[in-house]
Amino acid sequence: MASTYTHPEDKISYFIRGNHLAIVTTRGETSGTTHSLEGQFKPIDEAVTNGVLIHYYAEPDTVSAITDIPDVDNVFHTSIIDYVKSKLYQDKAGTTTDPNISAISLNLSNLHQANFLNSIQKNGMRKRDKTGGSRAIVPPDFT
Amino acid sequence: MAVNRLTVKKIISRVRQVFPNAPENYIMNLINESLVELGNYSTKVEYAKTTTVVDQQWYTLSDANSGIDVNKVFRVDFMDSSGEYVKIPRLLNGEIQTMDID
Repeated sequence: MASTYTHPEDKISYFIRGNHLAIVTTRGETSGTTHSLEGQFKPIDEAVTNGVLIHYYAEPDTVSAITDIPDVDNVFHTSIIDYVKSKLYQDKAGTTTDPNISAISLNLSNLHQANFLNSIQKNGMRKRDKTGGSRAIVPPDFT
Repeated sequence: MAVNRLTVKKIISRVRQVFPNAPENYIMNLINESLVELGNYSTKVEYAKTTTVVDQQWYTLSDANSGIDVNKVFRVDFMDSSGEYVKIPRLLNGEIQTMDID
């Protein structure tokens, strides 16, 4: 079923809680039952097939074969090597019985970890939560 | 000129310059771990459509597409009466008078 909203941007809003997207509308009755009035936010009042188009940043796909190419920009590919080496040096530091090897491994682990973090902070854009886009403020109801 | 990209095989061979006995499967697990971390920074843009239901407020984001996890939603559009998708605003705090549960 198609939408009956001619200007959905005037009536419909969204917000996000965790992994859930809320679609709300202010369209309603001019008088009548409680909490169904025009101007109050309520759940969307119509079924629209493919009515919502969501634009989002996605998680990269995992790799499962040696022929796979990591699903991130190629500027991050060398960072992945740093990450892997950092963890392997950590493992080595934790398993060796030689305190010298352990100390050196830990230093190298920190070095590769720092390289990894420097690269992603320089080349990447931090996304802290699932929310974004233009914003509107819910005005207080003075009625 | 072709863009340089590293396959998992190339990454493994680079790691094995230092750790020749590192198991392939373990390295692949670490690569996937790093991809989760990189997912916070990369900008892989995807789109998904979902169908609204009368009087249903909440829509699970992972159901809106087939198998790709949403990292961050940055825009939502709603279809108007002529079939065009129009950008709708995000409520700043989501504290509305009535609240439904999923």
